[in-house]
Amino acid sequence: MRVKGLAAVAGAECAKLSAQIKTRVTLAACVVGPFAFAAAMRVQNSLPEDTLFGRAVKESGFALPLVVLGFAALWVLPALTSIVGGDVFSAEDRYGTWKTLLTRSCARSEVFAGKVAAALGFSLLALGVLAVSSIAAGLLIIGSGPLVGLSGAQLLPSYALMRVTFAWLSVLPPMFAMTAIAIVLSVATRNSAAGIGLPVVAALSMQLYALIDGPEIVRQLLITYAFGAWHGLLAEPPYHRPLVYGTVVSGIYLVLSLVLAYRLLARRDIAA
Amino acid sequence: MRPIAIEALGVSKCYATRQALSNVDLIAHRGEVHGLLGPNGAGKTTLLRVLLGLVRRDAGGVRILGRDVEVGGALPDGVAGLIDIPAFYPYMSARQNLALLVRLDGQTQTSRGMVDAALEQTGLAAHADVKVAGHSAGMRQRLGLAAALLRSPQLLLLDEPTSSLDPAGARDVCALVRQLAAGGACVLLSSHDMMEVEELCSALTIIDRGRVVFTGTVDELRSRAPAAPYVLQTSDNMAARALASRSAGVHVSPADDGGLHVSGTLAAFDTYVVALGRAGIAIRELQRRPRSLESLFFDLTSTADLHTRESTGAEERPQKPGWELAS
Repeated sequence: MRVKGLAAVAGAECAKLSAQIKTRVTLAACVVGPFAFAAAMRVQNSLPEDTLFGRAVKESGFALPLVVLGFAALWVLPALTSIVGGDVFSAEDRYGTWKTLLTRSCARSEVFAGKVAAALGFSLLALGVLAVSSIAAGLLIIGSGPLVGLSGAQLLPSYALMRVTFAWLSVLPPMFAMTAIAIVLSVATRNSAAGIGLPVVAALSMQLYALIDGPEIVRQLLITYAFGAWHGLLAEPPYHRPLVYGTVVSGIYLVLSLVLAYRLLARRDIAA
Repeated sequence: MRPIAIEALGVSKCYATRQALSNVDLIAHRGEVHGLLGPNGAGKTTLLRVLLGLVRRDAGGVRILGRDVEVGGALPDGVAGLIDIPAFYPYMSARQNLALLVRLDGQTQTSRGMVDAALEQTGLAAHADVKVAGHSAGMRQRLGLAAALLRSPQLLLLDEPTSSLDPAGARDVCALVRQLAAGGACVLLSSHDMMEVEELCSALTIIDRGRVVFTGTVDELRSRAPAAPYVLQTSDNMAARALASRSAGVHVSPADDGGLHVSGTLAAFDTYVVALGRAGIAIRELQRRPRSLESLFFDLTSTADLHTRESTGAEERPQKPGWELAS
């Protein structure tokens, strides 16, 4: 596989993504959503008290991005990843463009790697936009008051900002794992509805499992465990074991999904 | 001898229970337009897909422009293909689609000029900034040709390239094909249009039910066919038919224009003509009618039972060409 070929495919995929309305709407929603939520929190009397940091949402602007993160981890982040990851391969089937794409100067492995890079890049971009927008909305609309951590200790604004930033970064591995799952579904089903919808359903199912009294080892093997691993960062002193564990689990999902997706694509006859 | 552009030997491909290609050989040279003919379901498109590395073959070897073709590998520079109706990204314009393909070919430096030239050459310059979703099938076919031209093809594989084009568009494509071949490129042209094939192709491969039933030049195809029929007008066609029924070795049937079609060996025909004179039947017109490529094709591929064949699978019926030509 040539780096030049990979870069060419990734560049072409980025050009395609930038020409699509769905990607622009998704990124716009990532910008606007947290500001709308912050504005609503500011004007309403009640608070989302059953949500982690929900009680503090009017006291510290640093609580708002954590509330958004906690909510987004349920299904928004899986949905964000699958919007591109679940469609990036099956769209070629929908448009009948495999024969167009694979009769150029790029090997199938380069096409695969380029598309994966584009999907992971979009997940990273969407997460970054949502994180920056959430933090900015909290600070601009609520204010930069100190945040009370999960252990009850008060975190100074600069320290709180660093912890919040790390919390958002900590969901990157499970985001990538969900992207890889969306990719394998996109390749296997050749259907964008399945590629986009099934990862969200899978994430919600994992969340449901977390609510029932099942074996702990199974819970830890689910990607949703990694989505909640940031809680330890807001304790004092912070604990990182769930974060490390969740990153390893996410890495396993990522590698297995991508290997399976590549094998399926490499063996496929483009006969339609 | 011109260098070989396509060398496919012993290619076989089976889809589930259907044998799409069976031990197919195809050799095409640079500077020639090589026709690929066959009825629907004969395996033409599958063969083109194998040549382009889109479909893996079960057996055989393929070399194009001197390089082995493997599924999953990058297509060699100078090779382009157009399979079925070309497909593009509907939310992008023709120009954006072509720019994307240039990028995939690794030629970003010169993309703008190349894209404009290809659009101009295929008559799409006026529609360059229209989204492909709004293109007709004919425009998409032109865009497919433009996409192929971007690769400066030394080998161009075309599958029914004029099927959606108006007569002017078809004429342009034929001119383009001739121009490429004159410039030393090899064009493999799969088509159902016999006139187009006859006009353009210097060599032919005919496949039926996944097997090659003829390969050679159009003249070779004609030379191996049975003698062409004569069209005969006499002073008394009824009597001429009655006389033919008593003459060995000739077969006479009524023609559409009121005359008679006469076929048979040359010796039997001579005897028949002499017999007509002796019987007092005057010959008013006698014309040898060359057999069309289409009639030769029908004889070879027995398309009368095509419907049955398509529904039963390619390998389920034995191959029975009207006359043996496979070489």
